[in-house]
Formats: sequence, structure tokens, C-alpha cells
Amino acid sequence: MRKLFALVQRELLAYFSSPLAYVVLTAFLFINGYVFYLIVAFLNNPQVQAMAPLRLMFGGTIFFWLYLLFVVPVITMRLLAEERRTGTLEVLLTSPVSEGQVVIGKFLAAFVFYLFLWLPTWVYVAILASHAKIDFGPVWTGYLGIALLGLLFLSIGLLTSALVRNQIIAAILAFAVLVVVFSLGLVESLATGAALKGALGYMNLWGHMDDFAKGIVDTRHVVYDLSLTGLFLFLASKALEASKGR
Amino acid sequence: MIEVEGLTKRFVDRDAVANVSFFVPEGEVLGFLGPNGAGKTTTMRMITGFLPATSGRVRVAGLDVARDPLGVRARIGYLPENVALYPEMRVEEYLRFRAAVEGVPRGEVKARVDETSERCMVSDVRRQLVGTLSKGYRQRVGLAGALIHRPAVLILDEPTVGLDPRQIVKIRELITELGREHTVILSTHILPEVEQVCRRVLIIDDGKLVADGTPEQLRGGLSGAAELAVQLEAPEAEARAALAALPGAADVRGEGSGRFRVAVDGTSDLRREVFKLAVARGWVLLEMAQTVPSLEDVFLRLTTHDAEAGSESPVEEVANA
Repeated sequence: MRKLFALVQRELLAYFSSPLAYVVLTAFLFINGYVFYLIVAFLNNPQVQAMAPLRLMFGGTIFFWLYLLFVVPVITMRLLAEERRTGTLEVLLTSPVSEGQVVIGKFLAAFVFYLFLWLPTWVYVAILASHAKIDFGPVWTGYLGIALLGLLFLSIGLLTSALVRNQIIAAILAFAVLVVVFSLGLVESLATGAALKGALGYMNLWGHMDDFAKGIVDTRHVVYDLSLTGLFLFLASKALEASKGR
Repeated sequence: MIEVEGLTKRFVDRDAVANVSFFVPEGEVLGFLGPNGAGKTTTMRMITGFLPATSGRVRVAGLDVARDPLGVRARIGYLPENVALYPEMRVEEYLRFRAAVEGVPRGEVKARVDETSERCMVSDVRRQLVGTLSKGYRQRVGLAGALIHRPAVLILDEPTVGLDPRQIVKIRELITELGREHTVILSTHILPEVEQVCRRVLIIDDGKLVADGTPEQLRGGLSGAAELAVQLEAPEAEARAALAALPGAADVRGEGSGRFRVAVDGTSDLRREVFKLAVARGWVLLEMAQTVPSLEDVFLRLTTHDAEAGSESPVEEVANA
């Protein structure tokens, strides 16, 4: 446990001592601020049907997804690829920590960083709350959905980072896999056959996020996200084991 | 302490390490010698468990690397060849991190970091970022990291590469000192280093173990390399015959005006006999000097077959034709 804590701590230090963290954070705030402005402006139009602004904010627009698909690979690309390139992985994997611990440590650090990115968005919640009465239930479930989505996406990024030595390649691979995982649900309408349609519908992340943003916690979504996360982390730890000494 | 049995690592088309076996008792400083690419790093990586062996067995402190990798890792301090560190950490942070990862009890971390930085001469840069350190300091920080948990076994892959002469001396002193408490395996291709630091030497070439012994034994095993230069005031032919008749003399070369060069077998020391001979025959002994083969001679003799083979390679013949 203490070893794991040390790994997480070191990784967070690495995040916050690189300019990357601040670039990502700034871009994230800029885009979110812009989207928030658009949503509020849109809902101010009296001809538009009334809707909870935060429901649109959390996964209701393509901006949310575009940004997430880009930013997660950037968060995860460095994690293992860089350690392999510089050789620090050799030191790490000859100390008494298991491959699994290394993977979990990296993953937790990335997740903490991801949550940190979302922290400033509470400003929007505060702004809305100061002008209108808002229902905090869907706000909390919306953030839960964001957290679960983060787990899933980050585990994919970590796996690609475990596979290669070059972080740019790790990022591109992660992006490609993420696009596939994200778009699986979107091709539902193209599918023929009830079984396939059902399966693709189950994997519709946009739909998942919309449920969470509406305040619905569907355990099927939770199970989907967590089980895939577990799978990708397991694969990452196996990939790390198999790639030792390479 | 370290048992290596029939260790082999096969890469796609060749054996990087072929059937290597040796034993390192507790408290020994073992020098691992060989030309670049001979398989030193590969062997060390297999001992640490970083690289799985194709076949063969490694046991450290009685634990099998393949069966109990974490147990072995806990007992080993490893300094890889390129000394990879995290540039964004301060020296002190890095050492505290290594201490936690290596399992140093929480209460002892501070004392251990203090003690180890003192010992590895990095106390003066404790607050500095690792990325801003010179090569010599980086090397010592890496060494401090490998030492922090007081491992039973230290494995150092070319610890003095890229250092300036003064730093090399310091690191060697440190390794000698460490050899009193730890079992050390040290790889290098710098021969004087081995003679100074190691009690035993393994020479590996092209993946195979070609020599194993103390530096003295290795020198002794090389017949005809030791030489005795003698100058006598004596009849040339008579002196030559008498010298050649001495037990242990392999060959005598006359160089005129009473000078002879006597090639000596193994570790025989003929100086006493030559002196007695001169006294018995009433010859005047003007000069006598013994040259012992250096470890360098041994090393070159054992590992140069590659260069010779290379000059007759079929590729060149094709090129000439």
C-alpha cells in the first residue's frame, strides 16, 4: 500500500512539474468556458425548449466528447512509454513492486489528475446556482458519469502506453482505440438484427452519459465502464510483464 | 549468495548468453569482464529478473528468480548501465521515493536517505533537480538509490563509464568499501578497475564464460606470458643452456652482450634460481627483471578471436571477388 502511494505521489509530481499539465488544464478551461457560454446563450432563447444546462454540459454536446477523446491520450501517453524509453522502467521493475502495482499506481495518478481537470467546472455549477434553483442530484450523478468515463478512457490510454516506447505513438494508438470504443454505440442505427442493435446500444457511451446527466444511475452502465476498465488494466499489466527487457 | 546455472538467453537468431554458470559467495566482489556486446548486461538483467532467461536458473539468497521475483528484487540493488533517473525530481525526493518503493520502513527513511547521500557524496546536491546534475553526480545518485535499502546483493553495470578520473577513483573507493558489507557484481571493460576492486573475475565473450578466477590465477593460467629479463657476465652458450635447464623455463632468447629473455611457465618465479646459478658458476649478475602478464594480456588473449575471425569473413571475400 505504501509502495503504491509512493508510485502515485511520484507520478503526480511528474504531472504537475511538466508544462503539459498546465497546457491541458488551460485548454480544458477555455473550451469548457466557451461551451458553457454557448449553452447558456442557447437556453436564453425563449423559443428553445427549457432544459437543465448542466445536462447539456455533461456529454450533451460534441465538444465534451471531442475534448475527452483528445485529452485522455495526452494524459496517459507518457505514463509507461516514457519510462521505457528513458530506462527508468528497468529500475522500477527491478525493485520489489509488481507490474500490477506499477500499472495501478500510474492509473490512479492519471485519474487524480483527470479529476483535478474537472474541479474548476464547479464554478459553472456555482454560477448557475447563484441565479436559479438547481437540482443537485443530476449534478452529482453527472460527475459520477464523468468519473466512470474517465476510468474507462484512462485505462485504454494506459494500455497503449504499456505497448510502445514512443509516447506520441502511444497517444495516437489510444486516440484510435478511444474513437472506436466511443463510436461503437453511434453505429447502433446502422445495425440490423435485434441482438447486434441491443449490444451496440449497451455500448453507447453517449447514451450512458446522458442518463447520468439526467440523474439516472443505471447499474448496467456502471458495470460496463468498470468491467472494461478492469480488463484494460489487466491487459496493461500483462503487456508490461511481457515487454520487460525489450 | 548468487547461483547461476546453465543460464541462456536466446534472441531471435543468436544466443546472447549461452550456458553460463557461476557461483558468487557472500561478501565477494566479482568483476564481470568482457568486450562490448559480450552479454554482460544481458546476464545481469537475467539475475535481476528484468529479463526472463530462455533456460537455466538463477538463485539469489536461495530464492529462484523465476519463482519468487519480488523476493529476489527486494534483495538486490541494481544500477543499470544508463543510470536512468527521473529528471523532474529533486535528489532527496528521488531517494525518498526509492526508499519507499524498495520497502524501507517508514520510520527509517529519513535516516537512511541522510546516511546514503553522505556515503555516495551527494549531500551537497540534495535540493537540486536530478535533471540538472552532472554525469558524475547522476551516477552517484543512481548508486545511492540502489543502496538505499541495504540490499544483500549489489549489481552494478559499468558504474564508472563516463566519469572523470577523479570521480572514477572516488566511485572505486566506494565500491571497495561496499564490498565489505554487500555481495557485489560489477561489470566493466576497464581492466585496472577490476584489478583494484575485485577479488574474483569472470570473463565473458560472445555469450560464453571463458575465464573464472582471481586476477592472479588468470594471469598465472596464461603460460609463457611472464618473462624474466637477465643480463649476465658469462659465456653466452653456456649461460643459455643453463638458463634453459632451469625448471619452469619455457624458452630462452639470447639478445647479445649477455642479455637473455626467459619465458616462464605459469606463475613460476625463477629469480631465486637464476641468482643461485650465477653464484654457483661464478657469473656476475648485472641485471634481472621479472614482467608479469597484466590482466589486459589475459583479456586480449581470451577475447580477440572475434577480430581475427572477422578479417576472414566471407563478406569480405565476396567484396574482394
